Formats: sequence, structure tokens, C-alpha cells
Amino acid sequence: MTRTAITRQTRGDPGKIWTLEVSGIAKNYGATCALRNASLRLRPGKVHALLGENGAGKSTLVKIVVGAIQPDRGRIALNGVPTRFAGVRQAIAAGVIPIYQHLSLFPHLSVLENLSAFAIAGAAGLRARPALVPRATARAWLDAVGLDCDLDLPVERLSVGERQLVEIARGLGQRCTLLVLDEPTAALTHDETDRLFGVVRRLCAEGTAVLFISHKFDEIEALADDVTVLRDGVAVIDAEPLASLSRAELVRAMLGDMVESGERALPQPGAPMLIATGLMLGPAAGIATRPADITVRAGEIVGLAGLVGSGALELAAALAGARPVAAGTLAVRGETLPAGDRARAVAAGVGYVPADRHAEGLFGPLAALQNASSSTVALFSRGGLLRPGGEAAALMPWLRRLNLHPFQPERPAAGFSGGNQQKLLLSRNLAVPDLRVLVVLEPTRGVDIAARETIHDALVEAAGRGVAVVIASSDLDEVMALSHRILVVRHGSLDGELPRGTGRAALMDRLAGRRAA
Amino acid sequence: MMALTGARPRRFSGRLNPPAAVWVVLLLFCVFALAVPRFASAGNLENLLRVGSILGIAACGQTIVLILGGIEFSFGASAALASVVTVLALPSAGVAGGFAAGAAAVLLVGLVNGTLVARFSLPPFLVTLGMLMVAGGGAAVLAGGLPIDAPPSDAFSWPARGRVVGIPVPILAAAASFVLLHLLLAHTRAGRLWYLVGANGTAARLSGITVWRSVLAGYLLAGAFCALAAVILTSRVASGQPGLAPNLPFETIAACAVGGIPLAGGQGRAVQTLCGVLVIAMLNNAVVLLNLPVAYQQLMIAAVILGAVMLQQAPRLLLLLPVRPARQSEEDRS
Repeated sequence: MTRTAITRQTRGDPGKIWTLEVSGIAKNYGATCALRNASLRLRPGKVHALLGENGAGKSTLVKIVVGAIQPDRGRIALNGVPTRFAGVRQAIAAGVIPIYQHLSLFPHLSVLENLSAFAIAGAAGLRARPALVPRATARAWLDAVGLDCDLDLPVERLSVGERQLVEIARGLGQRCTLLVLDEPTAALTHDETDRLFGVVRRLCAEGTAVLFISHKFDEIEALADDVTVLRDGVAVIDAEPLASLSRAELVRAMLGDMVESGERALPQPGAPMLIATGLMLGPAAGIATRPADITVRAGEIVGLAGLVGSGALELAAALAGARPVAAGTLAVRGETLPAGDRARAVAAGVGYVPADRHAEGLFGPLAALQNASSSTVALFSRGGLLRPGGEAAALMPWLRRLNLHPFQPERPAAGFSGGNQQKLLLSRNLAVPDLRVLVVLEPTRGVDIAARETIHDALVEAAGRGVAVVIASSDLDEVMALSHRILVVRHGSLDGELPRGTGRAALMDRLAGRRAA
Repeated sequence: MMALTGARPRRFSGRLNPPAAVWVVLLLFCVFALAVPRFASAGNLENLLRVGSILGIAACGQTIVLILGGIEFSFGASAALASVVTVLALPSAGVAGGFAAGAAAVLLVGLVNGTLVARFSLPPFLVTLGMLMVAGGGAAVLAGGLPIDAPPSDAFSWPARGRVVGIPVPILAAAASFVLLHLLLAHTRAGRLWYLVGANGTAARLSGITVWRSVLAGYLLAGAFCALAAVILTSRVASGQPGLAPNLPFETIAACAVGGIPLAGGQGRAVQTLCGVLVIAMLNNAVVLLNLPVAYQQLMIAAVILGAVMLQQAPRLLLLLPVRPARQSEEDRS
């Protein structure tokens, strides 16, 4: 209903009105605050990059823009008209067209049927048999994105890049005011990327605004005019021209600029404990890799640092035997371990705290105590029977030491806050008898300050007992504060090593791929 | 994971908190005792328990599979297969040998189920549904399509009709099964691993648990419970019947659900299953005493089961109140 009005405004007065103006957006998921105060202002005919680390609130903001979820607070205006989308369909009707990383086409249906999908979705009930878009019209849309293909071909026969163009063409049919590209190049070849960018530029020339979400700086610099950076749910760079910002400034904005590292005293490393030789992540990780040799000594804390998608987390997980690898061997104090076999790794004293607490760490409905004891059931059972009181005796000291709060070991793990859930996962590993290696991914993601201190203390203390500790974190302050040395991971491979005390700026330069310090 | 943090506080398995289903059992007992003639007589109650014992023993097996996050549909058909195998083996193997052969058939079905689920990661729903057909078809082929009578003998009817110190054997067997199930779940390492694997298989694997071994053991033990139920059932019907107990798997699932065991896995206690079994046994008994037409019997049983499940899992729904959205983790910032 507002579509005609919008079009008129855009045509009548380009440049004066923001195509999309989003301000003061807040969104909570239960106790988790995804967005505090996010804003986004898009000029017509310009490409606007949205940057931020995982958990910064990017995807939440994008979902709000495309109408998939509703904000708790804040306002959205499309071409100056205050708007609130009740769902994705309304957003599409208003000309906000999302193109996802995971394509939203119907692979078994033809190109023509896919191009008609919005019309079909909008058709009322069972009465009307929705008409397909006329072939000539469909052809015109495809021409506009420079795609020449058979309209009757099933979409699954097209390449990923071609499919993305079909999605954009489908958006064009809807009078696209705002195109939302969510990591569109993740699965594209170089040529396909160029072709996509050409189409995007042509759309911009016609006045369409583009919201571009990507982790690749090269692409952002090649395509974007303006940039917004989110950190912890707040827009720390708010719709500034990209040309006015350096790459290092963007990385700093993304990762935060907090206190410098280096206050905590670390123990003296001893003999080599964990030796990984020729470790290569498989193609399953989606990254071509060079073999990595990593040695961690007893009492040493090694940090793996990398931007999102660099493979730092995957490499660390492989060190704990938590994921299969394409090649390479792991040895803990001379004992060789098969890759990807956690049972053997735990038996050899290798602890592991996964990055995704809920999916890979917690037993939500089970008691906190049972969560903490899952790696050590053998310790308090004899002849297949659980020794009465054995579990509490083995785990309670750790839960006390890590200050579980509230101290209710019988309470289901799902009922604890993120920081306390993390303490449960840490106790699970600290209680492993003869713990030799401890690999912790994202030690304090989504954790409050007090729990963060407790967890950091526990990691340093573990190193003090002679455990070889590996941490991988997207929180650079954490890596710098805890690590004896930092291994830089880019494209799934090691890309150099930085000693303790390396400055933040130098580290960020290295993560972004620049050698000069 | 949000679903796991529902509004209802969940209790630590292995503790002796009475489940909410206890109230359903007591309520139903009082209602039937007052409203149904002869319901509360000692003779009827013994009969009720004796009939319900087969369901109870099989439900013990179902409980293990549900805690593992699976589901077991093949119970009825494998009991039917067991009855046919038992009767066919009688002439050559004798009574004990016949029952052993029948029990072995059920264990074999459990082994196949467990292997397919644990080693090949196939969905339990499809695997056990498939085995339901395999076992049912196998029983029909072996029996030649018709029930075969077993030659009557005291030894053959002992599992169903015998008594030990005055108590019917099936009731003793069911009681032993529930005690065993409780011990397994609350006091053994294997039981603990079932909870962990059922609550979050990935987290269990990353904790160093050999998940497949735990799953396989679970399905095998479930098969063992079903085998015991099948022996008693075969003894009771004194024949090999390819169409025996077609509702057994569904009744065991209903019993667990009435007891408040969620199908999502990772939760469930023996006492919950016991309550659910008692509810269904009382219902089955009462509709017979009331002499209702068969169609009404089914409708009444269905209504009570659904009501009990709603009372367990969504009490607000039963009172026609709007369901609150699931809470997220509570905030305990220090």
C-alpha cells in the first residue's frame, strides 16, 4: 500500500531522504541482550557495509531490517516513512529484498517458478491458482542481472552464482528499494563474485540501496560506500563514509579498544606436552589449509587468534581431538592420539570446552553436578555402579572453587547464567584426573565480568599445575592477557607467531593480513 | 535449547521426588473405586495388576529408549514373533528351551534396532518402525499366517498363571523389572550415560563418552525387558500368534508420556513409568468392568491419556489458559 508513495518519494527527492533509517534499536532474547542501541542509515544508490564480529548483533539487526523478527525498541523508517514489518512478506512487499548466504530458492522448481515465488506466496488461500510471471517479464528480470538461462531449467542445475542472480532477479520484480546481501560471496568463485558486484553496481546506479554484510575486507573496500560497525549490540561506527576509515580502524572498532594486556603473571613453561604435527583441517571446514605444526609445553598458555572464519576455532578443536582432520598427528607426552576421537583424548588427559555452549557443551535438563561430571563418570563408578557420594566428592570442590552461583548443584544446567554454565564446562575438564592438555574455545563469550575473571584465573591456575593450555578466542584482550604466545590463524593455516606483550595494533594488523607492524 | 528451559522445574533424576503423575494415579483410583462396582475388590486389583504387568515390563524397556532420545515401535511385533518362535520350538526344545528361543528372537530384534541406530545413525523412529514390520512379517511367515496352539502344560502356563508365595508370577516379574530399571537409571554408570547421551549426544561425545556403545546397550536392554514381557504374554495366550499385542509399543509410549517423561530425551525415572502404567492398567480394567462398548472404551482411554499428558506437560493448556512462552536461562549475575 505504501509502495507507490515510496517510489514517488524516491524518484522525487533522491539523496535527501535515507532509503532506510533505523535508530535506537534494542532486542533482548531472554536475559541475553543482542542489540542495545543499533542504528543503520542507508543512502539511496549506495552500498552500505555492515561489519561486526560474531555475537556483535549483526544478524539480529539484519533480521529486524528484513522483518523476520521484531525489535523491542527503536524505530525503522523506509524512505522517510515510519514502518514496522509484521513479517518477511510485508518487508518484501515494501521492496526490502533479502539475499541470503543460504539460498532461499526452491531447487527442484524451474527458474520461472522460482521467479514467481513471491506472487505465489502472496496468493490468497486455496481458491486462486497463482499465475506464473509472464515469460517475457521473467526474461526482462534475468536480463537486468545479466543472466541468460533457460526459464524451464530446474534451479538445482544452475551454479551457486547463477542461483544468487536468480534471487536478485526475483527481487527486482518486486521493485527493489533495498537489497540486503548477507555474505553473498561465501560460496562464489572469483568470477561469479565480479559478476555479482557488477549487478549490484548497476542496481545502485538506478537508485537501489544495498546493505552488504561480509567478513572480507577486500570485497568491502571494492564495493561499499558507507560503513556501520556493530560491537556488543551498539553501532560504534555509524554510517560513515568508508573512504575516511583505514582497515585497522575498522578492525579496532569491531574488536573493541579496551585495557591493554599483560597484568596477569603467567607460570614458567616446562617440557613439551602437546605436539601436533602436520595438522590440516579437512575440506569439511570449508578452508584450504597448509599443515600446521604446534607444540604446547606444560604450564604454557598458547592463544590462537584469527578473525571470524579464519579457522582458529577449528584448529583448536582439532588439537583436542574434537574434530576430524585431513592429515596430521597429535601426541600428548609421547602418546599418539587418533584425530577426532574424544574418548581416547579424554583418557589421555585432554580437556575441551567447545565454543557453542548450548549445542555442544551443556546437558540442559540435567543437574549442574551431572553436567560437571560427564567426563569423569568412570572416576566415581566401580564395577559399573555409581559410588554413592563419589560424584559430589569429585566435583563439589571444583564447583566451589569456581564459585558456581547460585550454588545449587542439583539445579538443571539450563537454568544458570552463561558465565555459570561456562564454569560447569570448565569444572568438567578440570576434574579430569591427570589433566595434561586443556583446549578452551571462546572461554568467556557472553559471560559477565566477574565470571570472566574467575574463568581466567582458573585457566592460569591450570597452567600453573603443569597443564598445557590452548585458548582460541575472538576476544583479543583475552588472548593477549592470557597467552604466553599468540599463533595467528588466517585461511585455516598458521600465519606466524607473536610473543607476549605484542601491542594490540600489531596484532590487529596481523589478523587483518598485513605484515608490517 | 530454549525448549529445555521450560517453565516447569525439572527434577534431578534419581531422587525420590514423587512425580506429578502420582496424583493422577490416586485421583483415578478414588474415582474408579467409588464409581465402578467391584473395582476396589482384592480379586479385581490382583487381576488388574496381572494384566498390567506385561505393559509394565515392556514400558521399562521403552523408558530406557526414550531417555536415550529414541523411540521403540517394534515391541508388539517382536512379542508376536517370540510367541510363534516359542511354540514352534516347543516340540524339540521343551518348555524352557522354547521360551529361551522366543526371548532370543526379541533380543535379536533389539540388537538390530540398536546397531542400526547406534552405528549407522539412522533415525530410531524409522528403524523401529521397519523392524516392527520385519518382526511381524517374520512371525506371519513362520506361523504360516494362522495362530498355532501350544500343547497345554503346567510348566508352559507357569509364567502367566503361576504363583510364588501366593503372588502371581507376572506381578512379581513386573515389580522386579521396575526395581531393576530404577537401579539401572539411578545407580549405574550405564544409566548415567543414557541420560547424558539422550540430553545432548554431541556434548556426550565431546565429554569422551563412546556414544554408540551406550545407545546399543540401551536398545539391547530394552529388548531384554520386552523379551520378559513376551514370555509372560506367550504363556498367557498359550499359542503362537502373528498378530499378538499390536498396541503394545503405543501403550508403552503412552504410559511413559502419562508418567511425564518427555519424548525429547535425557529425562525420565522408573517411578514415572510405573505411574503411567498404573493409570493405563486401571483404565483398561475399569472400562471392562463398566461393560462399555469397545468403541467407547477406546475413546475413554484416549481422553484420559491425553488429559494426563496435558496435565504433565502443559498444565496451563488443560485449564485453557494461554501458554507462556518458554523462559530463557535465568539471570544470576553476581
